[in-house]
Amino acid sequence: MKKIIALLLALTMMLALVACSESTGSTGSTGTSSIAVCLSSEPDTLDPALNSAVDGATLISHLFAGLAKWTQDDSGKLVIAPDCAKELVEGVANADGTVTYTYTLRDGLKWSDGKDVTAKDFAFAWQRAASEALGADYGYMFEVVDGYGTDALNVKAVDDKTLEVTLSNAVSYWNELLAFPTYFPVREDVVSNEKWATDPSTYVSNGAYTMKSWEHNSVITLEKNPSYADADKIKMEKIEFYLSDDSNNMVANFKNGSWKLIDDVPTNEIPAMKEAYPDEFKVVGQIGTYYVCWNINKDILPEGTTLTGDEAEAARAEIRNAISMLFDRNYIVEKIGQAGQVPASSFVAMGMTNPDGTEFYKTAGHNDGFDGYYNVSKDAIESNFNAAVEILKKYYDYDGTKFTNFPTLTYLYNTSEGHKAIGEYLQAQLASVGITMNMENQEWNTFLNTRKSGDYSIARNGWLADYNDPICFLDMWTTVSGNNDVQFGKDAHANAKLYSMDLTDLGYDIKVENGTWGETYDVLIKTIKSCTDNNVRYELMHRAEDLLMSTGCICPLYFYTDIFMLSKTVKGFFSNPLGFKYFMYCTVEE
Amino acid sequence: MNSKTLFYILKRIGLALLTIWVVITVTFFVMHAVPGGPFMSEKAISETAQKALEEKYGLDKPLLEQYGTYLKDIVTRFDFGPSLKQRGRNVIDIIADGMKTSVKLGVIAAGIAGIVGIVLGAWAALRRNKLIDKIIMVLTTAFVSMPSFIMGSLLLVLFAITWMILPANGAASGGLVLPIITLSLYPMAYITRLTRSSMLDVLGQDYIRTAKAKGVSGGKIIFGHALKNSLIPVITYFGPMLAYIVTGSLVVEKIFAVPGIGRAFVKSITDRDYPMVMGTTIVLAVLIVVMNLVSDILYKVVDPRINFD
Repeated sequence: MKKIIALLLALTMMLALVACSESTGSTGSTGTSSIAVCLSSEPDTLDPALNSAVDGATLISHLFAGLAKWTQDDSGKLVIAPDCAKELVEGVANADGTVTYTYTLRDGLKWSDGKDVTAKDFAFAWQRAASEALGADYGYMFEVVDGYGTDALNVKAVDDKTLEVTLSNAVSYWNELLAFPTYFPVREDVVSNEKWATDPSTYVSNGAYTMKSWEHNSVITLEKNPSYADADKIKMEKIEFYLSDDSNNMVANFKNGSWKLIDDVPTNEIPAMKEAYPDEFKVVGQIGTYYVCWNINKDILPEGTTLTGDEAEAARAEIRNAISMLFDRNYIVEKIGQAGQVPASSFVAMGMTNPDGTEFYKTAGHNDGFDGYYNVSKDAIESNFNAAVEILKKYYDYDGTKFTNFPTLTYLYNTSEGHKAIGEYLQAQLASVGITMNMENQEWNTFLNTRKSGDYSIARNGWLADYNDPICFLDMWTTVSGNNDVQFGKDAHANAKLYSMDLTDLGYDIKVENGTWGETYDVLIKTIKSCTDNNVRYELMHRAEDLLMSTGCICPLYFYTDIFMLSKTVKGFFSNPLGFKYFMYCTVEE
Repeated sequence: MNSKTLFYILKRIGLALLTIWVVITVTFFVMHAVPGGPFMSEKAISETAQKALEEKYGLDKPLLEQYGTYLKDIVTRFDFGPSLKQRGRNVIDIIADGMKTSVKLGVIAAGIAGIVGIVLGAWAALRRNKLIDKIIMVLTTAFVSMPSFIMGSLLLVLFAITWMILPANGAASGGLVLPIITLSLYPMAYITRLTRSSMLDVLGQDYIRTAKAKGVSGGKIIFGHALKNSLIPVITYFGPMLAYIVTGSLVVEKIFAVPGIGRAFVKSITDRDYPMVMGTTIVLAVLIVVMNLVSDILYKVVDPRINFD
């Protein structure tokens, strides 16, 4: 009997050993020339044109080189520097207002399979990325290029080394776009194989690294590309990007030293991690706003109200704006977010700058005492709250402590502990004045669908910038925009004539009084997009935000931050405001 | 094997095919009825681009036509189509990739659960009310009542963080040890308890007493008579155990970042990656149907008294 038990146990152990021995990969980096990190789970795609994820952009920025790149100057300041281009030239204005840029490529640029990188590769890649046939999420990044929306962009390879591109008008963030993955080159014969970006053997790139291996759902290994033009500046020989979708698992691997950087920390672990790893818990700015949006077409006036038409919409705007002032954003960032977020009182996020270098949000709202459209400092909370109650009293019955006839609201959010906690705080604040708000959570894809189709009254929302220009926060609210969740200018709101704007002081022959959304906001955005004077352009963008905020449909809560854990042993790391992380200049000290 | 058995097996295979067809059909239509779509993202793409993509993947066709094409492609060409999210990859390749790890994880976990469970169960039964029996019973009670996400997290903290003797990442060398242990503990404990009680039952039977009276050796009684007969309930548990391992691996794969099929399955649903949802569902359905069939047939092998009528 004992023998047989021993035999069976031995068999079991053998099975377990098989499990151990056949696995691949390693527990982490050991030398100083390799690093193991984890940003996220398996990327959907590593095709520069198709990618729209931040983790994908980080990988692609290591694998490809565009005309420009993000890097640090000698003082450690983040700058955009030429990469494949010899220099980042100034544009030449044409008579019709368009601007032409002519770039010369550096000598000796090679693809990872040894062929030369030519201007034709850039021209091809841009046409491809912008084409509707490809249907790329970020196709609209080429909106600034002349010819966007037609069959072809106005970009051409004059010869192998010269690329000429014409923009509809001067854009201050053009160089930044050149460093964005959607603008990276790909080669026609490579991408003609639809599977090219899924396997290292067909993944031909031109950047600082080449893809050594991709074990799906497990790890992507990059190795330094010796034929990269600036290879002598690249310090890290090998980068392993582990793929995990579980933030608790990431923390475990960070704690035991396997992974040197993890890009996610579970919300409930944040206080503990901050305390245990004060030097390794990193908070950096990220250009984005967490906010609540209202469906402009959902009525919130009390039953039996005598207000109708434009008067009713004007009242709703006042009510929504008042409700925005009931919330304590400091409580949200300190007690719920806990990751260094900044209370917000305007929509265009922190990190966006005016032409003079000052923060856009600090000059928003045109208020002297505070930044943005309402004062969100701690000492203003009580007065905000009282002022809001006074406004609401104009429209609803008040019994001395609570409103008694505010219709019940339903707050829509996507399933997540963090969003739920914020929703519950908003719910409690509203309940304190007698407003009932129910909570409804939906799974992500369903949620997006519901919100986009306007089938909600009030919903959680958030927006991250794609480039450092306020327009990417403002053009999403035009009537036809696919991201117009508020439903501005649609259905009943299409006929609401209560918006005014006067651009005559800025040299435009545009003055509208009591116009519709389409006659004002849409026109304003169009004007901004064709404006060539940068100072005027920024003033127009401030006015667009004023108009947007006057509707009360946007209730900003905080500006996002990017949190991650970075081991003390890693030197030379940096990330950019879009959240892309750069490991090429890193060293690891064991 | 007599003709009755053969007929039974054929009937069961037919039923299995029918079950799979029902699963395919229901999943197909339910999946399309869920709001949202594969090209839905926070940053919306233009309507024309969306149309171009839908046309490319045949999503612009009427639903019934899509269903017909889908069935035809599977049956005639074993083609599950391309993934809509991981562009450039075929569903069958993604599934094959994930299955490699998941099958290894599942088979080893099931093997360990079966072997250790039976040994411990038999041992506890033979040493009834002794110290070892009590220890085994206390431990198995604990393992049966602890859900895998707690057990997994506990093992992760102890072995991967506190003692650092095993990796926390399923892709690393030795990374499957913790997931396998996590996944096998519950069925192992269950089988132990099942074997013990069934063995005790068998040991009290008249024929065992007769064998003892006739002077048959202890080992022969246990292995020749008692163990085989006490395994019937354990075989019944084979089907449910597989279902447990398949569903349990969804959780375990997530906790330990194991590159298995479980994660792909869950992600495909949130992504509305229709061909992936179908592919993974079909694979899991086939697996469970086949395993239930095998366990039913095994019954007959172990216990010839069982009648297939």
